[in-house]
Amino acid sequence: MFRLLEETGFGRVRSAVVPGFRFRHESTRNSAEAFGVKAVMMTAVKPAS
Amino acid sequence: MTDAAGAQEPLEAMLKDEIVRMYQEVADNPKAEFHFFHGREAAELFGYAPEWLDRAPAGAVSSFAGVGNPHERSHLQPGETVLDLGSGAGLDAIIASWRVGPTGRVVGVDLNPTMCLKAQAHAAATGSQLECHEGRMEAIPLPDAAVDVIISNGVINLSFRKRRVVEEMFRVLKPGGRISITDIVSAKQLSQSIVNDPKLWAS
Repeated sequence: MFRLLEETGFGRVRSAVVPGFRFRHESTRNSAEAFGVKAVMMTAVKPAS
Repeated sequence: MTDAAGAQEPLEAMLKDEIVRMYQEVADNPKAEFHFFHGREAAELFGYAPEWLDRAPAGAVSSFAGVGNPHERSHLQPGETVLDLGSGAGLDAIIASWRVGPTGRVVGVDLNPTMCLKAQAHAAATGSQLECHEGRMEAIPLPDAAVDVIISNGVINLSFRKRRVVEEMFRVLKPGGRISITDIVSAKQLSQSIVNDPKLWAS
């Protein structure tokens, strides 16, 4: 996603992991962990010109 | 359209149906348990201000199914035009409308027309204006350079065509405009069994 934003032309792309995000059930959490699934917040700016 | 994109069309149609079904279920049965946290419990987990949650309509709060808090870094200013991509029952759009004030404008886009109506009703209940359009994030129903800010919460990951979604966000933003989104990402390629299963993908 980060790369897609940059490739599309966005600038000042920033990301950070969302603290506190987790799935409710342990089985889902384990699967998510295996795939490196996490919630992130991303900001980016469309260049002014 | 490429052959690959054409081959994905049936799967994408099934996915759309599953997404509509799942998030409609959250809105219709907010007391049910899902594999993700939702409602006020989730919003508090992500740092939504309690006064926002107290002020917002109960239905908008209980149907919240986001994965973070896009308001934390959106820096919305009075008078700005905001697009909430995947606006659901409207909590994020309503909060945005409070922040941009009466001189601002908030537009929601959602796959599900029922959710659009619900979001607009929730906004009206707080005295906020929200215009919501049924539409897909891969073809945002707005003209070029229409908005100052895009917020989105846990929605873009549901698309098979994320590059297209990002290109659409770029198109509808004004020059100098910005995005503040929260979403799910995966460090590893998801297995084909997940990709081919609309229920798992919609999760």
